[in-house]
Amino acid sequence: MTADDGRLAAIFHRGADDASHALAKWLGRPAALAVERLEALPIVDAAAVMGSGDTPICGCVMRIDGAIGGLLLLAADDDAGLSLADTLLERPTGTSTSWGDLERSAVVETANIVGCAYLNAICAALGPGGAAGILPSPPVFLRDYPAAVMEAVLMEQQTLAEIVLLARSEFRIDGTPFDCRLVFLPDAASVAVLMPPAPEQGTGP
Amino acid sequence: MTPGDPPPPEARLSDSIAIGQIGVARGEGVLRTFVGSCVGLVLHARPQRSAAVAHVMLPSSNGHGSPPGKYADTAVVEALRLLRELTGEHDLSCTAKLVGGAAMFAFQSGIPIGEQNVLALEKILGELGIPITGRLCGGRHGRRLIVDVATGVVTVETAGHGTETLA
Repeated sequence: MTADDGRLAAIFHRGADDASHALAKWLGRPAALAVERLEALPIVDAAAVMGSGDTPICGCVMRIDGAIGGLLLLAADDDAGLSLADTLLERPTGTSTSWGDLERSAVVETANIVGCAYLNAICAALGPGGAAGILPSPPVFLRDYPAAVMEAVLMEQQTLAEIVLLARSEFRIDGTPFDCRLVFLPDAASVAVLMPPAPEQGTGP
Repeated sequence: MTPGDPPPPEARLSDSIAIGQIGVARGEGVLRTFVGSCVGLVLHARPQRSAAVAHVMLPSSNGHGSPPGKYADTAVVEALRLLRELTGEHDLSCTAKLVGGAAMFAFQSGIPIGEQNVLALEKILGELGIPITGRLCGGRHGRRLIVDVATGVVTVETAGHGTETLA
């Protein structure tokens, strides 16, 4: 099963487009979010998605309930995250050196905008009734070891699917790039909705 | 690591133990792993200068104990078996330490899975008569734990929140 083809890729690319428009509107500046690569990884490989190093990463997690359930994680390394915060707060890059309330708030709001844009794209793909059935939680900021973040994300799922959807994305705000990773962990029932098995050949008329 | 197919000693001493896995070592060096909601179960046999670390993910196997390190009930038994195999001692006298079981996101209602893991391990260790000599559990942050194989001393680092030692 691949994630780069078909319906799922269309959903993520539409989500990126919607997020770009929402970010630009919020910031009042040119902003773009592009999905560079979309992968469907076996769950056993997912714990290493964010790396296995000793340097903490930052990110925001949203829980999704309803017609589609799962977790959405937007994460970046510390430098990229703090640079993003500086840009969002209209400060020179390098101003932020640690995660205070203001920096966290800026990144959480960004995660909220990006996450909701993706969810809107999923809702649109689900057709009539989809939008009414998806309820995202407020984003939760975290800063921790990469392995601990991914482990906790995996553990949070009660009905874990066998795959994790990883979209490596890049933000550009005023032309400045920020390397981020968007991880979507659908629950088992949602995988069947988002990635239905291909129909068997030879059964048609 | 799977029973009957242990990694070479140098791998045991340098690799971070992955989710659901068990690492064992004897003599010198360290065992290490990262835990968030999971619990790092450390068993140490002081006379044999040997240690095992299990990266426990869930409280109960419910009959599906593969890999054994993933579940509290099977991880304790398997870690003991690997330690006996490593040391050649059937009657090992072990102590235990527990690290992890954080509730990093707190989306869930009810008892967080990390706390369930800790409770399950405490129960099983109690039934086996293995004393728990140190613990750093709960909270909102992930932890890196480093076990000195010879002494059993556990160094616990929390991102941005300092380092503690379980002697």
